[in-house]
Amino acid sequence: MSAEVRVWDPLVRVAHWTLVTGIVASWITGELESERARHAHEWIGYAVLAVIALRMVWGWTGTHYARFSEFVRGPAHTFAYARSVAALSEPRYLGHNPLGGWMVVALLAMATAAGLSGWLSVTDRFWGVKWVQELHEALANTLYALVGLHVAGVIYTSVRHRENLVRAMFTGRKRAT
Amino acid sequence: MKSIYFFAAAALFAINAQATGLATCESGNRDGWQTEEKLTAVLKEKGWQVRRIKEDGGCYEVYALNEKGERVEAYFHPRTLAPVPTGAKGHKG
Repeated sequence: MSAEVRVWDPLVRVAHWTLVTGIVASWITGELESERARHAHEWIGYAVLAVIALRMVWGWTGTHYARFSEFVRGPAHTFAYARSVAALSEPRYLGHNPLGGWMVVALLAMATAAGLSGWLSVTDRFWGVKWVQELHEALANTLYALVGLHVAGVIYTSVRHRENLVRAMFTGRKRAT
Repeated sequence: MKSIYFFAAAALFAINAQATGLATCESGNRDGWQTEEKLTAVLKEKGWQVRRIKEDGGCYEVYALNEKGERVEAYFHPRTLAPVPTGAKGHKG
C-alpha cells in the first residue's frame, strides 16, 4: 500500500457532507406538500446558504487544497485537461482536477442562486410572484442536474485512477502517487 | 456509503408520497366553477392583495397578503369560494 497524504481538511469534508444532506433534504421537502415540509424547506435553505458562505470564506483563507486559487484553472489549462479526458490520457490530480474544480464553482453558484431565489419568494415583496417561484424551481432543478453530473464525474474519475474519491471525502486522505 | 442508500430510499418514498397539495376539493367539472376574477374581487373586498391564483387538487390556491399584510397561501372551493382548511382532503365546499 502506497503512502497516503492529507488532502481534504475537516472543514471541507464537513461542509461537503452538510451540503449533500441539505440539498437532498431540500429536494425531499420541496416535493412534499405539507405545512411542516414547507417550513423545514425554508430553514434548510437558510442553513445551506450559511454553509456555502462559510465554504466561500474558506476558499480564500483555508488550507492548500481548499482554496479556489488551487483548483480553479484558466480556460487553456481546463480545455487541455478536457481534451486529455477525451483521449483517455488525463493526469491524476491530488486536489480537484480542472473540470472538477469548475464543477465546485458551478455547484456553489447554483446552490446560492437557488437559495437566494427561494428566500426572495418568501419576502412580502415577491410572495406569490409567479416568475420568482418559477425561477426558484428552474434553478433548483439545474442544481440537481449538476449534482448528477458531479456524481458521475466522481465515479468516472474514481474508476480511471483506481481510487475511491467518495471515501477520500470522508477520510480526507488520498494515495500520494 | 450507507447514508447514500438511505437518502435514495427516502427520496423515492418522498416522490411516491408526493401529494396533491395542501388540500383537495371535490369540485366536479368546471362548468359549475366560479371564476378566478370573482374570487379575486371577493378577497379584495376583504382587504387582501392577491398575488397569484393557481388550481391545486381541485381547489383554488391563492397567494396573497391578507388584510393585516401577512403572507398567506390559502385554499378556496371553486364552487362556493368558501375557504378550505389546509390539510383537508376532498373538501365539499
